[in-house]
Amino acid sequence: MTADLTKLLHDLKSKCASLKSAADLYKDCSAGEKKEMLALMTAAADEIAKTVQALGKTA
Amino acid sequence: MQKLNILVLEDDKLAQKIMASRLAAHNVDLAGDLKTALKKIEANRYDLGFFDLMLGPDDDYSGLRAIAAAAARNVYAVVVSSSDSDEIIDRAYELGAGDFYSKGNEESNVADILRKFLQNRKAAAATDIFTSAFITGDPETKAAAGEALKYAPTELPILILGPSGTGKTSLAKVLHEHSGREGAFVAINCSAYGEDLLEAELFGYRKGAFTGAADSRKGRLLEAHKGTLFLDEIGAMSLGMQSKLLKAIEERSFYPLGSEKPEHSEFRVISATLEDPQDLIAKGKMRFDLFQRVHGYTINLKPLADRKTDVFLLAQHFTKGGKRLSFTAEARAWMEDYAWPGNVRELKKFIDLLSSGEGGRVGLDTVQKHLKGGQGAPRRAPEAAGGPDAVYTDALKRGLEAALEKISGEIIARNLRENGGKKTKTLEDLKISTRLLYATIKRLGIALPGDKK
Repeated sequence: MTADLTKLLHDLKSKCASLKSAADLYKDCSAGEKKEMLALMTAAADEIAKTVQALGKTA
Repeated sequence: MQKLNILVLEDDKLAQKIMASRLAAHNVDLAGDLKTALKKIEANRYDLGFFDLMLGPDDDYSGLRAIAAAAARNVYAVVVSSSDSDEIIDRAYELGAGDFYSKGNEESNVADILRKFLQNRKAAAATDIFTSAFITGDPETKAAAGEALKYAPTELPILILGPSGTGKTSLAKVLHEHSGREGAFVAINCSAYGEDLLEAELFGYRKGAFTGAADSRKGRLLEAHKGTLFLDEIGAMSLGMQSKLLKAIEERSFYPLGSEKPEHSEFRVISATLEDPQDLIAKGKMRFDLFQRVHGYTINLKPLADRKTDVFLLAQHFTKGGKRLSFTAEARAWMEDYAWPGNVRELKKFIDLLSSGEGGRVGLDTVQKHLKGGQGAPRRAPEAAGGPDAVYTDALKRGLEAALEKISGEIIARNLRENGGKKTKTLEDLKISTRLLYATIKRLGIALPGDKK
């Protein structure tokens, strides 16, 4: 496995893990925090999509 | 709850938010890159830190440098791993990391890590007891005593099991000293008194309460008010006396002999016995309800013969400040192999005997002459490990969690020994998590081939 591929996969796992943790936390957030959390989760989901695209290019 | 100062090194904004939320009860500092983290570590005092190792997709585990810096400043470093390889985790531990967990499991792991950190910090403050107040180098005994110390500042009654002369009273004293209780440590050996005298000793009496009661006397229960009552050989107490004691423990009040006025005492109970309490209960010699009241946490002290590393550690301690003794290799081997039926008490008596003589170099003849009249008692066979009865008994004595921890430690240690220390093989063979493996290696102090000194 190339170093680039390793790093992409590592980054993907890390971001997916963060999304999972955010989902665990979300229900306990206040209204204001939920808004902030959603924005961060959306940004993370976008990053994941980009990483998957980059992964596709290494295939 | 104690507020900790915590540093979080994490480049991902969402992960930062998650950690800040999970650690909201504490003072949390966030660092999004290595440079900021290093500055903060240098400038501030943190209790612990959570460290992501890979800070960005183009990073090369620069988080490891932060771990090294944190460990150098006594910050307890926790690795937040995103499926990092064994080599990277190994490296993190070499640099001073104390724990790790997999990212994505904050809900279950963060609170657990904080709880253990606080408990260990308390216990760590007391580790010098193993070289001064309760001498032992035996890893299992240290672990058991260290675990008991975590409960020292609570109200939990503690039951110490072990053969005669293994240091039950010393340990009870140490537990009291670490309890934070303002009252005294009051000990009574229940086997030293007949029933009537024991009652008088425990509850006290008024002048004239019985023939020979020339004056009133405060009982041990009252002497132990806001302190610790240590009931040694609790198994020797009669059932009638057990019933009276149980009432005093439950109600925190009792009547001295010959008095119509109740006394009140808030004492914490630590008790000890050389007998198996389950056996005593089965034979009707111990009340089950009293047992329930005195065994919130149970610790088992091994006989001296089963912790031979302690023989010379104790011998050295007993000769501190006095005549120096040295032992020939043959004498040492014989002493290490000796059964020590009287345990630490017998060893002390033996050392005192040698010290009162000429001192100097002690040979095999001298040792054999003084120990068991020259007959070397055969070494006790170690308890059969892993048998279901032994495990069950251990669980009853020390609690299920402690028994399972012991068994898993033994299995992991054995597997590592058999495969030459190959951690990946152990993970495969035993189907355990990396976290459990590293925690066990650290807890048992297992040295592996290739470990840096």
